[in-house]
Amino acid sequence: MKVENRYDVIVAGAGHNGLTAAAYLARAGMRVLVVEKNDWIGGAAVSRSLHEGWTYSNCSYVCSLLRREIARDLELPKYGLQVIPYEGGASFTRDGDYFAYYSDHNALKREMARHSAKDADAYRGYSRSIMRQCRFIRPFLLRDAPDPASLHPRDLGELAYLVKKANGLGSRELGETLKFWTMSIGDFLDEHFENDLIKAHLAGSGIIGTGLGVYSPGTAYVLLHHYMGDIDGGIGAWGFARGGMGAISNAIAASFKEHGGTIHTGSGVEKILSKDGRVEGVALEDGKVYYAPVVASNMDIKRTVLHHIDAAELPDEFTKAVRNFKIRGSSAKLNIALDRFPNFPAAPEHTSFLRGDLHVSQSLLELEKAYDDWKVGRWSEKPYIDMLIPSQIDPTMAPTGAHMMTVFVQYAPYDIEVDGVRSAENWDEKQRNAIAETVLDQMSVACPDIRERVVHMEVRSPLEIEREVGLTEGNIFQGELTFDQLFFNRPVPGWSQYDLPIKGLYLCGSSAHPGGGVMGAPGANAARAILRRETRHGRMKGYAA
Amino acid sequence: MSQFDAIIIGGGVNGLIAGTLLGRRGKNVCIIEKSNRFGGMASYSVDGGPTLAHSLYNLSPRVLSDIGIDPQHPVLSGKPVSTVSLSEDGRHIVFKNEGVFWSEGAKHPESDAWTDLTQQLITYGGLLRQLAEAPPPGGQKAILSRGGLNEFLRLAKLGIGLKKLGKPEMRRFLQVVLSNVHDIVLDDLPEGSVAGMLAADAIWGSATGPRSPGTVFNLIYRLGHGGNITQPAGGMSALTDLMVEAAQKAGCVLMPETEVFRILLDDDTVSGVATNDGRTISTPIVLSNLAPKLTSLMTGHSIFDIETTRQFRNIRARGTAAKVNLRLKDSSPLPGLPDELADERLIYAPSVGYVEAAFNPAKYRQMSKAPVIEAFKMQTADGASWLSTIVQYAPSDLEGGWTETAKEQLAEITVETLSRALPGLGDQIAGKQVITPDQIESATGAPGGHWHHAEMSLDQLLTLRPANGMSRYSMGPKGLFQCGAATHPGGDVMGLAGRNAALAALEAQP
Repeated sequence: MKVENRYDVIVAGAGHNGLTAAAYLARAGMRVLVVEKNDWIGGAAVSRSLHEGWTYSNCSYVCSLLRREIARDLELPKYGLQVIPYEGGASFTRDGDYFAYYSDHNALKREMARHSAKDADAYRGYSRSIMRQCRFIRPFLLRDAPDPASLHPRDLGELAYLVKKANGLGSRELGETLKFWTMSIGDFLDEHFENDLIKAHLAGSGIIGTGLGVYSPGTAYVLLHHYMGDIDGGIGAWGFARGGMGAISNAIAASFKEHGGTIHTGSGVEKILSKDGRVEGVALEDGKVYYAPVVASNMDIKRTVLHHIDAAELPDEFTKAVRNFKIRGSSAKLNIALDRFPNFPAAPEHTSFLRGDLHVSQSLLELEKAYDDWKVGRWSEKPYIDMLIPSQIDPTMAPTGAHMMTVFVQYAPYDIEVDGVRSAENWDEKQRNAIAETVLDQMSVACPDIRERVVHMEVRSPLEIEREVGLTEGNIFQGELTFDQLFFNRPVPGWSQYDLPIKGLYLCGSSAHPGGGVMGAPGANAARAILRRETRHGRMKGYAA
Repeated sequence: MSQFDAIIIGGGVNGLIAGTLLGRRGKNVCIIEKSNRFGGMASYSVDGGPTLAHSLYNLSPRVLSDIGIDPQHPVLSGKPVSTVSLSEDGRHIVFKNEGVFWSEGAKHPESDAWTDLTQQLITYGGLLRQLAEAPPPGGQKAILSRGGLNEFLRLAKLGIGLKKLGKPEMRRFLQVVLSNVHDIVLDDLPEGSVAGMLAADAIWGSATGPRSPGTVFNLIYRLGHGGNITQPAGGMSALTDLMVEAAQKAGCVLMPETEVFRILLDDDTVSGVATNDGRTISTPIVLSNLAPKLTSLMTGHSIFDIETTRQFRNIRARGTAAKVNLRLKDSSPLPGLPDELADERLIYAPSVGYVEAAFNPAKYRQMSKAPVIEAFKMQTADGASWLSTIVQYAPSDLEGGWTETAKEQLAEITVETLSRALPGLGDQIAGKQVITPDQIESATGAPGGHWHHAEMSLDQLLTLRPANGMSRYSMGPKGLFQCGAATHPGGDVMGLAGRNAALAALEAQP
């Protein structure tokens, strides 16, 4: 056996979480190989040029959740990562008005009062609740989820930490927290606000990427999942990575390589090799075989377990639980090269809010209806869209004077229904064009000249996202963020601590706790678990340790 | 001026139980009811038609023993009924304790999967029942006090119960209980009538669809006492009559046709109630069977802080179940239904997707055009034959209101839907009664006509029921307690809310 085929750890998949795990392990002195099926790295945190002169953030498009502990540990700024916050956003109405969201509290209050004086007052209470929930949850992101059925000291310790934190809230605040975690974003907003447009604007974050509607219990948590990030300490702030989201993956990869890591692109894992319940390495699609006593999979749990491991190697109960893990495709994406800045007739000149996230949903019920379409296999007639033009802030994304636009679309089912048959195979050119037309119609509410501005457009249905990135059903979180799949239930009960029933095999993607988003936490947590279990010194160093 | 040790406002099931229990513990109790009839929603009926509730599945044996009703009483020894899922092709599906069968007798291929899942949920229900039979955990009691110790022991017992399940089952419990019924059922069963039956049983009386997270909890709640369904001999009013009798035996004074308009306070302590007929009745303890918002109207908002009154307003209670009673021409068998199934519980819920689709319109204040239906064929005291049905979804806040036309439309939809499986049913119908949620509200006071006075969603359960900081039955001023379905553990003709509230009142003021 040739020595160059042997590593201490092999990471399957060069998404940002795989790279994060790899970078931590390389820094701890391990020989790490990352294998990637595509010719490029980054997974869903990627920048690609599909039309000359323009760079697209093809999948994920904005940054906030990336844990700062990880950015510091891996020295990402040194390797070129610069995140520029954008301020504000807006929802446009069908009658030519808008609701603008400013990060400046007073400006926001004034704007809210323009729509509802009551809501302007209510915002203080609302933002206080959200901020408290963010503060409560953030420390858990870089910790393991305890197994409630285990009496292991580590689990008891984590459980004790949870109880201590919860107790520290006081019984009233704890009650509010439990309520917040279990309620729907629609009900939560209805408790605070009266204006439909304001509620619709705020609700979007509760449904992005999920197979739930704004009135499904648990969507308040999904909102939190989008608010608990920060940029330079500004909790809840979002920004653009200069050069697109790929800049994040590239910086992590550069940090990894500088510490001796190797990345092998262009051939995916065919099979994760194991013998007698112990992992041995990976066999690639191109026939190469690499050996290592530890393999960490950045693929989602369904792909890892159901496609790349011999079923005979795993307990049936476990395989069944994985099969029942819910990963539902619900999002599509348009990436658009624009010849110049589109016209937003409603917006005042030189306003800052156009540099933020723009929407056209009018009410919570419109959003809920969009969900009803999805349930029966249709994309929404009036989808929720989250559109941004990052080239206003980051000029590297498009030629001078031209712009790049990213449009996230919720809901688009994976298995769409055509002629009574539900199947992902139905996503052909015709269907992709049709959904693009629906989305462009919806966008015209904000910028009526959008169709004339398009130079090039990439339409990504859930099927494309699955095929290219490898995310099952194109689900952006590698698994629904519902209570039954979060914390100690993620990905499946009993296996929430990154290891899998084959010794030496770990999960480092966002199917694991704490879940999806360009966060890096599952990767860092997996690295910590690997170092603890597989090495003698056992400790990870750094802020995320 | 009369004087009592305790006054119960509202003579529904929970009010009767709370009063009886206090009476049996030596208190001098008065139960005040605004209508001329005790039993509340359970035995409410219009013009002698079938009652609102038409079957028993969750009545707590612990409550029965606490109020001195023999569980073997003839009224309670009604025959257990099976559930029949009606099918358009005439091959109905019968759910029995022994499994699932086709109506012609052969075993259904999904029988074992259904039995396994149901048994698992019944086991979980048994565990959760321990929580239901006491105030919710999280009180501010010192661990070494008697109450604190009891609570600790109860939680420890639950913990041991969970441990006894074994690690994998314990983990599964913690996942399943938070999940939605659509996923849990379709993980183990193919889409169709068997799955549809479980989906339907998870949504009765609630403003949720099978895909809503938390609906498995509703199903477990329904199965909390084993899941057996019976019809009391003599109907629901026979049962509530039995409860009235128990209350009288316990020395309670029953005061029908009396409306309380004010709960009187003296120095933030309950001193009595004032009634519409001008009487003042003094008492140190009031248990209100009404929803919190209505109770707070009786005390006046000013005694609660604004945060609390806002909480009352935000309690979600949107009734979605209507009662449609179809009077039959005679007692001849229903068309398309074998004789031996004539008295069983009939449901129309051909698939999980059907139930979800039925829910959709309710979100937008519309009635389902293809609703989920539960039906019993029964005879009322006057000898008339009825098909008593619960029709979902029919939201209390229907757009345009529940006009006569809207009610007529709902009745037609009901007959049409049932006729798909029972062709020719329309020809047998001699009359229709439609009782909509808003009507239930005006008759019983239940907010939105909601069966549980407050939606049984995860954010309104246990310590959060009816509202955060108010889950242990006492409410604001000293001596004021709530004992209705809006409190832990919730409604159904179960009685635990009333019982727990009475015990809490006794503990606070022995």
